[in-house]
Amino acid sequence: MSHATHRNNAGRGSYVPSASGAALSAGDDAAGTGGAAREEILKRETHSSRAVASIIAAGLIIALCIFALLETAVRAVGQEPWIVDPQTAAEQVVALPEGVPPLLLGVLGAVLVMAGLYFFLNAVLPGRRARHVLPDRRAAVVVDDEVIASALARRTRLAANVSQEQVMVTVSRRQVDVSVRPTSGVPLSPDAVLAAVKDELREMGPVPAPEVRINVTTTGVVGA
Amino acid sequence: MNGTPRILNRVLIGVLGFKLLAIGVLLILLASVPAVGVWWQSWAAGVWSLWRDLFERTRFPGRAESWLWIVAVLVLLLVIGAMVAWIAQQGKGRANLLVSEEDPGDVPGNVRIGSGVAEQALRTALADRPDLAGVTVATYEFRGEPGLRIRIQPRQGVAPHRLAAEVSALVEALDGALGKRTPVLIHVASGARSRFGRADRVR
Repeated sequence: MSHATHRNNAGRGSYVPSASGAALSAGDDAAGTGGAAREEILKRETHSSRAVASIIAAGLIIALCIFALLETAVRAVGQEPWIVDPQTAAEQVVALPEGVPPLLLGVLGAVLVMAGLYFFLNAVLPGRRARHVLPDRRAAVVVDDEVIASALARRTRLAANVSQEQVMVTVSRRQVDVSVRPTSGVPLSPDAVLAAVKDELREMGPVPAPEVRINVTTTGVVGA
Repeated sequence: MNGTPRILNRVLIGVLGFKLLAIGVLLILLASVPAVGVWWQSWAAGVWSLWRDLFERTRFPGRAESWLWIVAVLVLLLVIGAMVAWIAQQGKGRANLLVSEEDPGDVPGNVRIGSGVAEQALRTALADRPDLAGVTVATYEFRGEPGLRIRIQPRQGVAPHRLAAEVSALVEALDGALGKRTPVLIHVASGARSRFGRADRVR
């Protein structure tokens, strides 16, 4: 691979109450599409819809219901149960700590807690996607952070006069990390690189605007 | 900008997650704390006997089974139906018409422009660019109004703001051709095709 452009889902860990909608006025709103509609589109596009978790949840519930349905239907017509008769199952649940090894019970509980946490956190966390909003006159524009990182890496590569493999850029919501490994023996000015990256970012104008941090490694690359 | 019901998703996932958490914690406590086991057995036995009485009282006359089983089957079918409906809500909202309006002129009738017009025009305009690895254009219903969703995958190193500005200019040209401004979303995306493709060296 060429320059590693990393994707960093900043939304996962921390919640920063933000002005993701308010700062969009950078675009000229006289251009028709209606600021409110545009802001809503942008809000939807920069946040996860939780469709995957929803489909998993619905699938789980459907599977459980089909099993219960089968056993109940079998019971209703007075046939032999398939795996467990509902009444026997209920009696086993009532008697619970007995009849099941405690280790199995604990592991089962832990698995359920894990699944529950997955769904609960999906519901509660803001669920931001690794995307930034760009100002535009006409349309609502969202850009994956990976694309921004790739563009900044290219600019860094040109400014520092190094090859693709020597640059790594990581873009998160409020932070851009540029790391350059200079060629051995060729001096590299971090200020010039920083200025170039900042210039590119200012031209791009992503919302929210990230801060740039530059890191020039002390060990160089030989023969690049 | 599709019609996925986000708040509903959050609420339903949250309820399910909370229930799973509660059951999981209860199971762990049952396995580890004996006192919880004693409490659970007395409490659950009470609930269970309540239900058993209910089943006893609702028997079919002359038969051993209760008609509550039939009710249970119906309820389960209802829940399954609701879950299928929920899944069907995800990602819905594709539209077929971009413009559908009454013609204000003398001739009676409606004007309808299919979404294929805008989709194909934009796709053709962007097709031959060397700095793009892929373009998808789709029409979605947004707040009862059709809107365009343009997803472009640039090659590595392409400046997204310049690309967005150029696509935006194309959209403005399209506005002129259609005579109507629709909401437009431009999504500059990364994907496997841009990640593993060659970097664009010219632009």
